[in-house]
Parts: sequence; structure tokens; C-alpha cells
Amino acid sequence: MKDSVAQPRKHRSVARRKLFNNSFSVICLLVSSLAIVVLATLLVAIFSTGGNWLSFEMLSGSHRENNPEGSGIGQAILGSLVICSICGLVALPIGVGTAIFLEEFKPKGRLLRIFHGLVQLNINNLAGVPSIVYGILGLTAFVYMFGAFSPIRVNDQPDHEIGATYFYQTKTLGGQYVRFPAVPLIQPVIKIKQGRNASKINGDKFKLNVVSASTEKSKYANQVNETVLLGTEAKLSSRNGNQVYEAKTIGGEPFNFPAEATYSQFAKIIEPITVSNSDGDTFSLNVLSKSEPIPTDPTILAQSVFADSPDPNKRSSASIFRENSLFHLHLPFSKSVLSAALTLALVILPIVIIASQEAIRGVPQTLREAAFGMGATRWQVVRSAVLPSATPGIMTGAILAMSRAIGEAAPLLAVMGGVLGTTNHLSSLMDKTPVLPVTIFKWAGDENQGFEHLAAAAIIVLLAFLLLMNSLAIFIRYRYEKKLS
Amino acid sequence: MSNTSAGQGALLGDAVSPRGKLRPRSSAASKRWQTVVVTGLVFCALVSVFTTIGIILMLVVESWGFFSDDKIEIWKFLTGTKWTVGQTQGELSYGIWPLLSGTLRITGIAMMLALPMGLVSAIYLSEYASKRTRSLLKPTLEILAGIPTVVLGFFAVKFITPYMLEPLGDFKTFNATSAGIAVGILCIPLVASLAEDALRAVPNRLREGAYGLGANRLEVTLKVVVPAALSGIISAFLLALARAIGETMVVALAAGSTPTLTLDPRMPSQTMTGFIVETFKSESVVPGTLSYFSIYAVAAVLFLSTFGITLVGQIIRMRYREVYD
Repeated sequence: MKDSVAQPRKHRSVARRKLFNNSFSVICLLVSSLAIVVLATLLVAIFSTGGNWLSFEMLSGSHRENNPEGSGIGQAILGSLVICSICGLVALPIGVGTAIFLEEFKPKGRLLRIFHGLVQLNINNLAGVPSIVYGILGLTAFVYMFGAFSPIRVNDQPDHEIGATYFYQTKTLGGQYVRFPAVPLIQPVIKIKQGRNASKINGDKFKLNVVSASTEKSKYANQVNETVLLGTEAKLSSRNGNQVYEAKTIGGEPFNFPAEATYSQFAKIIEPITVSNSDGDTFSLNVLSKSEPIPTDPTILAQSVFADSPDPNKRSSASIFRENSLFHLHLPFSKSVLSAALTLALVILPIVIIASQEAIRGVPQTLREAAFGMGATRWQVVRSAVLPSATPGIMTGAILAMSRAIGEAAPLLAVMGGVLGTTNHLSSLMDKTPVLPVTIFKWAGDENQGFEHLAAAAIIVLLAFLLLMNSLAIFIRYRYEKKLS
Repeated sequence: MSNTSAGQGALLGDAVSPRGKLRPRSSAASKRWQTVVVTGLVFCALVSVFTTIGIILMLVVESWGFFSDDKIEIWKFLTGTKWTVGQTQGELSYGIWPLLSGTLRITGIAMMLALPMGLVSAIYLSEYASKRTRSLLKPTLEILAGIPTVVLGFFAVKFITPYMLEPLGDFKTFNATSAGIAVGILCIPLVASLAEDALRAVPNRLREGAYGLGANRLEVTLKVVVPAALSGIISAFLLALARAIGETMVVALAAGSTPTLTLDPRMPSQTMTGFIVETFKSESVVPGTLSYFSIYAVAAVLFLSTFGITLVGQIIRMRYREVYD
């Protein structure tokens, strides 16, 4: 078509030119309406697949393996909302701050101007980075923290953590669970699980290297005397009056490092101690020796344990448990809600910045000049003249960015893995949780046909959230922009 | 960071009234406070700078972990035609081409759909549409742009493949075409909106001049407006291209998990992003292993291609933009 008009010198009848013009406008209309057709098809397809599967049980339940009828998205909805809220709390202030810096504080110095230009270019480029790359960044920077700390293992105490209380729990002869607080002790034997500074017998300091059994030998062939296998046992001993752990490297060279107090996995109960049960009652535990007869009174029985017995079935050793407070944190963050939220914040940051910049740019220059005329400093101008009138635009952009965040699956898949359901409730930022988009992804790929319908139902819920957020954005834009002008 | 929260406070406070609540303060104190605030704002700006540095550093360092492995030669990675990383049996091959060609195939199909349709929609919206059609079309495109990609992936694998493609020929359950179509659908609004911005930025004087010479609407559009907006249109195309290359969830759902080196659009075709997601989904990624490092090597190629394309798009838009005022 373009060919026919690209040769201007050729004379063409008015009728033909008219024909081309009219047919092109019809083609335009048809092609443009295809977008409406596509959208309608998509919505009809999804509603017809999943509409019947929406129910209260489905909205509140959680994933069950091979049981689509009994599965639900309660946990996923909660997870998505929590992650998006934290993501917004992080991304919004930083994004708006960057936008203010870029728009209102254009520096005069040459070096600062270069920095300014670089930041602007950088943000435009960041907006084009695929979200999966952010996911990998989140995995490296938040989940593993560039390997700077020892990795978090299941049933293992992290090296750097706050907000967790440890206690030992055991079952009494009467079948009641009792617990007592755990105190960190210097263990006689520990397993080495992270690299650390250590010293050789002659006092030379070196950086201890830890490798797993599956690591190839060639990787540490030239440093066998500074490398140990993961889980190598180190024994407590005393050196120059200090308590140290001693072990040998793969090369057989002995070394030591300072001893720290840690929790042991199990505690032996030898003498009566004060414990509490699940109702919160505290009492002294009744410790029976092997020769003693077992009491018959159920109340006493419920408060009795055997002293450490050789019979493993009667052994009263208590094992360690952890209770996380809401502010439980550990380093690295590992695969957790916090890692996921921070990663999503990085994903939407460029969007927030660009939207806020546009909103700030839209504030009429007269407002600024009036404020400057009153003797305000630049920041006062921004705070009391620019920001208030840019707020509706910033909020609209922020909500649109959040609606991008709630639908993102790839970065969450990278950072939290394909979690479908968890046994315990979401209680701290260090927990894992299923989220809506990842749940849809996993269900859509499930071989059980029922999950296809469930995925469609979950999509309807996701789309409903998006609709809600977009209506809010439109409402804000409509309501406040009118007032301003 | 306390300064940013101060900014946030002002932002959430009196939303409409330009009357701020300024505490009386000496001008010296105001100046000091401003320095504190500006420092905070610079730190905010640094977050995005560090994000870029973090991405590049991470890709370089961890890809080095891949290429420094004794089994890996960089030459074979760049030229090899077989990819078996992550598969438990068989010989290890790590040529990037099957993944790269998968990305190119799907991107190609998507662009064949999105570029013409997006451009025509943009032309229609900017030059032809009445206010009423526009008020119907524009929100439709915006809604289409806001649909999460995992939803489009679901649509591709459960509807496009079985109801549109399988009646047409011997398409596999997971194939490049359905993924390409879905990626195209999500690129249409992007092209349409960016290209429309470019077309609307062309001043009316140009159109009026052409009309004055007796041109009709089609001629004005194709010979005057589109050439004048060409830099913006090309940069819109490039951004859509980068978006399609980086698209993840659609291809993870619809394109299958078999890396293939073929031109047949009916075959499954794992892309670079598809491989990364497949590796994460299996939850067998242990730091330090070859399949963990391979994610970074693939991501480095992915990042370089999208970053390069976005950068070229920006340069074109900045350098070749026709300024009329």
C-alpha cells in the first residue's frame, strides 16, 4: 500500500486517491478494533473456564496436591497483598525522592550535572530491563546476599538473626507438650558450616574455605590446607586460656577458631526444671529415674518425664524449636516475603520514578515562581507548592505501578521459588508465602485438568484486583485534577 | 532516609491546597535543612544507580563462575548448537544458540504481529479516529497493556493453541507460534501508545501545509506525519523488541521446555527467559553448581541484548528527533 503512494510524480486519478484513502481508513478501523476483539475473547475465555469455580471455599482455601476441588487461593491473596504493600512502602518514597531530585534539583556544578544526566539515562534503561533479570538480582542480592553470610538451612539456626525466640519442647509421659527457654551454650562439638577467619597452630591467620562434598576437587586443589568439607566436626579445647574449636583441613593441617555460644539441637533433662505447657501454666517438671515406678495419677503423669534413658522411646531429650515474632529478621534474607517485596520494589522503581517525574513536570511554573517570590528555599518550594499539586499524578502513577507489581510472576518465582502452599500462617517477613501470579503459573502448568479451571478462577480474582486499583487511579485523577485547574 | 519520609509526609498531607504548613524558621536553618533533604534525595537517586551496578556486577561475577569451570569453553557457549544444561542425563552441551534462536523465533512472530498492528492503531488513533472511537479504543489498549503476562500465557496455552492453531495444522501442545502471538498481543498496546505519542508530537502546521497542497488524509499521514515522527516510531519499535525478548511468563507457559534449533514455528522452543524460569521452577538451583551459574550466563546474554536495544532506542529518539519549535 505504501508502495502505491511512494511515487509522487506519477499522476493518479482523484478517484483512485480517494479509494486508497477510504480503504486505508477502513483497514485502520478494522486493525484497531482487533484489540477490542482480542480483549473480549480473552475475558470470555477466562470467565467461561473459571467462572463456575469461584466460591467462598475457593477464595479462602489453600492449595491441595491433586485435589483441585478442595484447593483455594486464600494464602495466595494474602501473600500478594502483603508483598505488594511492603513493595509500595519501599518503592514509593525512593521513587518520589528520585523524581524530585531529577526534576527540581538540577545541579549547576559540572560533575553533578554529569551524575544527574547519568541517573536519568540509567532510569530509562532500567525500565527496559526484563523483570526476570530483577528476579535474579533479588536472588543474588537479597536471598543469598552475594554469599557474604552462611546460607539459611531448614531446622538450623541462622548466624545473624533477631526477633526469634528459641525454646526446647518435649512430650511428657502423659502426652502433654511442655517447653522451656533455650540458653545458648558453648557446645563441646560443632559442625563447621561457613567460611570464617581461623588460625593455624603456629598462629598464622587465614580465611577458612568451606566446600560441599559435591564440589569438584580441582576447584580447591591448590588450597587444601585452607579448606574443610561442609559439616566437618570441630572439638572444643582451650588454647592460651581462650576457648577455641579445633579441627583439621582436608590437607590434614590442624587449625582453630574462637568458640561462640550456640543452641544445641537437643537438650537432656536430668533434674527438675520449670516448664510451661500450651495453656501457659508453669510448673516444675517431675523427673523420674529409671528405677522409679511410673505414677498412676494422670495429673502427675502429665507433668513427668524420664531422666535421660538408654531406651530411645522413653528418652526425654527435648528438641529445639523457634518462635518468630513479627519482626523476625535474619541475614541473608533467604527465600522470604521480604526478599520478594524488595525485588518487586526494584522492578517498579523506574515506573514510579518516570510517572512521578511526569506529574512534577506538569506543575505550572507559575506556582514555583510565586513560592520563590515569597522567599522560600528550593526545598520549601517543592514541599509546599510542587508536591501538593503533583500528588494526584504521583498517586495515579503509584497505583499503576502497584498494579504492575501484583501481576508480576517471574521475579517472585526467582526469589521465592514456586511455593503453592505453606503449612503455617504467614507470621513474619522471613516466611515464604504463595502469591497469586505464581499460583496461576503453577496451576496452569499442572497436569491435573481441574487446576486449569482453578487457574482461570484465580485469574478472575487477579483481574478484579487490577480493575479495583485502576478504578481508584482513575477516580483520583478525575477528582483532584478537576479541583486544581 | 528520614528526609525522604519528610518528603512523603508532605506528599500525603494536604493533597490539593498549595498552602503548605511552613513552620517559621530562620533562613540559615532553612538552608541547612535543605542540604539535609537534598542529601537524602541524592541517596534515593543512588538506589537506581546501584541497581544497575548490582545487575552488571552480579552478571559479570557469576557468569565468570560459569566460564571458569573446567568443562566450559566460552567459544562453545557462543557457537554451540545444543543446550542440555539442567538435564540430568546425557552429555553436557552448552551452546546458547537453541535458546537464542528460540527467543528470536518468538520475538520475530510477535513483532510481525505487533509492529504493523501497533503502528496502524497509532495512526488511526492519532490521525483518523473521532473523539468517540478514541474514547473506546484508548482504554481498551490500556486495559490490554495492564493484563499480567502470566494471564496471557494461560490464554496462549489453553486457548490460542487448541482453538486457533491446532485446527490449522500439526502444532505441538507447546509451540513457538502461540507464544509469539501472545507476546505480540502484549506488545501491541506498547507500540500503539508510544508511536501515537510520536505522531501527536508532529505539529499541526505540517499537516495543514500538506492539506493546503491538495493532499488527502492518507497522503498527509504517510508522506508527512509518519516520516516526521519516524525517530519516535523506530524507538517505539525497539522498545517493543526489547520487551518481547525479555518476556518471560508467556514463553514459560506456552513455548515449552525443549530447547530446539529449528525454523519450524509449530515446534516447542525454549527461550533464554524460559530456561531461567524452568530452572527456578524445579527448585533444584543450589548456589555453586553448574546449572546455577548457567542462569547467570544466559541472563547476561539476555541483559546485553535488551540493554543494547533500549539504549539504541533512546539514542535514536534523542539524536534524530525532529524539533519543530
